Amino acid sequence: MAISAATKAATDALAVNRAPVSVGAQEVHRWMQSFTWDFEKNRTKYSTKYKMANDTKEQFKLIAKEYARMESVKDERQFGSLQDVLTRVDAANRVHPKWNESMKVISNFLEVGEYNAIAGTGMLWDSATAPEQKNGYLGQVLDEIRHTNQCGYVNYYFAKQGQDAAGHNDARRTRAIGPLWKGMKRVFSDGFISGDAVECSINLQLVGEACFTNPLIVAVTEWACANGDEMTPTVFLSIETDELRHMANGYQTVVSIANDAAASKYLNTDLNNAFWTQQKYFTPVLGMMFEYGSHFKVEPWVKTWNRWVYEDWGGIWIGRLGKYGVQSPASLRDAKKDAYWAHHDLFLLAYALWPTGFFRLSLPTAQEAEWYEANYPGWYDMYGKVYDEWRARGCEDPNSGFLPLQWFIENNHPIYIDRVSQVPFCPSYCKGASTLRVLEFNGKKHSFSDQWGERMWLSEPERYECQNIFEQYEGRELSEVIAEGHGLRSDGKTLISQPHTNKDGKLWTLDDIKKINCVFSDPLKAL
Amino acid sequence: MSIEVSGGRRGLTDPVLAAEIMAAIPDQPLETQRKMNYFMTPRGKRINEYEVLCCYSQPTPDWIPGGLDWGDWTQKFHGGRPSWSNESTEMRSSDWLKHRDPAFRWHALYVKDKAEEWRYTDRFLKAYSADGHVRSMDPVWRDEVLGDYLGAFGFSEYGLFNSHSSVVRDCLGDTLRMSSAMIGLDKVDNAQMIQMERTFLAKLVPGFPEATDIPKNEWTKGVIFKGSREVVQQIWQETYDWNEILFSGHMIYDPLFGQFVRREFFSRLSSYYGDTLTPFFINQMQLYFSQTKGITTDMFHTCLAADEQFGAYNIRLMHTWADKWLPRTITALKDFMGIFAKIPEIKGVSDKPAIEAALNRVFDDWKHDFADPIGYKADTAALVKTVLSGLK
Ligand SMILES: [Fe+2]
Ligand SMILES: [Fe+2]
Repeated sequence: MAISAATKAATDALAVNRAPVSVGAQEVHRWMQSFTWDFEKNRTKYSTKYKMANDTKEQFKLIAKEYARMESVKDERQFGSLQDVLTRVDAANRVHPKWNESMKVISNFLEVGEYNAIAGTGMLWDSATAPEQKNGYLGQVLDEIRHTNQCGYVNYYFAKQGQDAAGHNDARRTRAIGPLWKGMKRVFSDGFISGDAVECSINLQLVGEACFTNPLIVAVTEWACANGDEMTPTVFLSIETDELRHMANGYQTVVSIANDAAASKYLNTDLNNAFWTQQKYFTPVLGMMFEYGSHFKVEPWVKTWNRWVYEDWGGIWIGRLGKYGVQSPASLRDAKKDAYWAHHDLFLLAYALWPTGFFRLSLPTAQEAEWYEANYPGWYDMYGKVYDEWRARGCEDPNSGFLPLQWFIENNHPIYIDRVSQVPFCPSYCKGASTLRVLEFNGKKHSFSDQWGERMWLSEPERYECQNIFEQYEGRELSEVIAEGHGLRSDGKTLISQPHTNKDGKLWTLDDIKKINCVFSDPLKAL
Repeated sequence: MSIEVSGGRRGLTDPVLAAEIMAAIPDQPLETQRKMNYFMTPRGKRINEYEVLCCYSQPTPDWIPGGLDWGDWTQKFHGGRPSWSNESTEMRSSDWLKHRDPAFRWHALYVKDKAEEWRYTDRFLKAYSADGHVRSMDPVWRDEVLGDYLGAFGFSEYGLFNSHSSVVRDCLGDTLRMSSAMIGLDKVDNAQMIQMERTFLAKLVPGFPEATDIPKNEWTKGVIFKGSREVVQQIWQETYDWNEILFSGHMIYDPLFGQFVRREFFSRLSSYYGDTLTPFFINQMQLYFSQTKGITTDMFHTCLAADEQFGAYNIRLMHTWADKWLPRTITALKDFMGIFAKIPEIKGVSDKPAIEAALNRVFDDWKHDFADPIGYKADTAALVKTVLSGLK
C-alpha cells in the first residue's frame, strides 16, 4: 500500500473506531518461529547424536513479559501465605521434629536438582534449533531459578522460625559430608548437564520431571501436611504448577527427534539408562525420607511408587509416546522390586552413618515397627531386631561409645558404594536385589550393585570415575572428617547430626565421636 | 492411635495429631544461629535475602574456586569431559561465586518488575490507540524505518539473547548463572517488544505489514546491518568462552552499537518524526540496558579486574578481547550509518554534525563506563571518525 494511502486509511479507521487496542502475548508469540535466521556456523555447542527438527512447536505460548506476569501472581500468593498467616500461627514450630529434619534434606537436595536444571535447560535452549523450542526451554531456565530460590526459601524459613535451625541454615556448606550426597549429585546434578543434550533432556524431563516429580513434589506435600508442615506444600505445590510446562518440553523433545533415524537406534537405550539412573537413587531415598523421616504415615511407599512410577509414568505417560517408538524401560521390572525393600536397606546404612549427616535421624519406635511389619511382612526379622540391638547398646546415648557402624564391622558386613549411582549398599545384609560385582580398570577397583549400572560403566567407564566417600575418607578419623566438613552447631562442639529426635535426649558432641576413634577404610582394598 | 493417617488429615489443624506433634517438640529451639548462610561473606553489611536464596546453591567442588564441595563429577560427558571446569574460560578467579546483581534481584523480584512493565505496557497501548496518536507519525519513518529497520534490529537483540544459552550452561557461579539468564531474557524481551510494536502498528494502520519477512530480509541480506549481523553471529555461535561471550556482547558491542541504535537513533529521532510510540518501548530496553550494565560491570570490573590474585592477568585478557571485538563493532556502526540516507534529513537532528554529536555521546559513555575502569586506551575521536566515514 502506498504510504499516503496508508496514513489516510489509519486516519479513517480511527474516525470510525476509537476503541482501545493492545497486543496480546500470543499475537507476538505467533511470529517467534521466524525470529531466527540461517547462517553458516549456526549450530549447537553441545553435540547430540539426535537431530531436533527445525519446526518444533511449543504448547505454552509465552513471551518474556507474560511469563513474568504469570509467575509473579503465583509468587504473591505463595509468599503472602508464608509471611502472613503461617508466621502468625507459628507454623514452623508446629511441625513434628522428625519431619523438621527431613525437610533439611528434601528441600536442599531438591534445590540442587533445580539449580542444575537451570544449566541443563540452558544447554537444551542452545541445542534446540526451533525458536519455539528454544523459548520453551528458556521459560524452564527461568522457572528453575525460581525453584532454586523457592527451595532455599523453605530452609530459610525453617531456620528463621523453626525448632532446630542447624542444617537448615548451612545445608549448602555441610551437605557434602555424608553418604547420600554423591548419589544425589549423579541424579540431580551431573545427570542433567553432562552428556548428549537429548540424553540429558531424557534424564531431566522425561524421567526426573515426568516420573519422579509426582512422588517427590506432590506426595511429599501429603506427608508434610500429616506431620504438621504447611510451609512445604505452600512452596512445593507452587513449584509444581511450572512442571507441566517442563514435562511438555520433554515430550516435545521426543517429538522433535522422532523422525530422526538415530531415535530408533538409541532412544530406548537412553531412556532405559536414564530411568535406571534416576530410580536407583530416588526409589530408596524418597521411600526412606517419607517412611523413616516422618511420625505420621500417609501410605506405604511401595503403593505410592506403584501408582506414580509404575502405572502413571511407565504405563500412561510412556504409552502416549508409544507412537514415536518409545517403549517402557526394560529395567522397570527390576525397579519395581527395589520399591519394596531398597529404602529399608538404605535406612539401615544411613542410620549407621548418622554422624556424617546434617540432620537428626531416629530409630523406628515400637508403633512404627508395628506399621512396618504390617506393611512389609518380614521387616522385623531383618531390620527391627537390629534396631533393637543398637538401641540396647545405647546408640542414641553419647556416653555409650557405640556407633552402629561398628555393628557392621563386628558382623563382617562391609558397606560398598556403587560406582555408577554412588548409592551405598551392603550385599551381605540386605533384602533388596543388590549383589556385589567388582571390576578392575586401570589398576583401580570398582564395585557395582546391579547389572544396569554395571553395563553403563562397561560401555563408558570414563564417565564414571568419581571417587566415593570411603576412598576419599580412607585412613581418616570420623570426628576429623566431620569438623572439616563443618558438621557442627554454632556452639562449636555439638554435632548438627544426631541419632535421635527425643526432646530430652542428650546431644552428641565432637568429643563423643573422637573418643570412639572410628577410622574410615576402603572396603575395596580388602578384596 | 494409629500412626497412619488418611483422608488428608493435617497435623497443624487436627487437634489429635497436633497434640501428639506438640508433645514431641523441644521446649527450647536447639540452635541459636538462625541466619541461613551465616558462614558467607556478604557484599554489604549484612547477608541480604538475595544472598540467602542464591549464594552457594551451586554444588561445585573446591577446585573450582569458591566451591564448597569436594571430589570429582559423578557423571561426565561422553569421553570424560567434566560437567563444569575451569578450562571453560580464559578468565581466572579466586572466587567464582563472588558476583552480585547490584539490584539484588532473585527470581521473585525480577519477575515482579517485568510483570509491572507488562501491565503498564498494556495500559499504555490502549491509551495510545484510543487517543489516535498514530496519526501524527511521519509515514516514511513509520513504514520504512519502523517496519523495516526497527524490525531488523530485533534480530540483533534476538541473536544476543541466544548467545546466553551456553553461558547459562557453562558458567562457574550461581549468581553468575542467574544473572546471565535474566539479562538473556531481557534481550528476547527486547526482540519481542519490537515485534509487539509492529503488530500494534498493523492493528492501527491498515496495510502496515507486521510479518517478519521484510525486516529479516534486511537483516540477512541488507548492507545496513551487515556488520552487526556478523558480530552477533560471532558472539552467538563462534565464541565458546562464556566470559568472552558476555564481555563481547555486553561490554563492547551493545554499549556501542546497541546504544547508538536504540538511544541515539530510534529513541532520539522518533519524536522529530511524530513518533511517541517507539520511545515507550525503547525506554524499557534502556532500563534493561542499565540493569545489565550493573550486572556485567560487577562481573568484569568489581570481581574479575579487582581479583587480588588474578586481577592483572584478567585485565590484560580484557584488553585483548577489546582489541578483538572493538574493530568489528566499529564496522557494524559504520555500516549502520547507511540508514541516514534512507530518511528525510532534519537539520540539526539527522545531519552529519548531529550524528557526530550522538556518536560522541555513545563513545564517551562507553569510555567512561567500560574502558576507563580497566585502563583500556581507545582513541574514541578516531573511532567516531571511522564510523562517520560510513555516511553516504
Ligand atoms: Fe524445577
Ligand atoms: Fe522442572
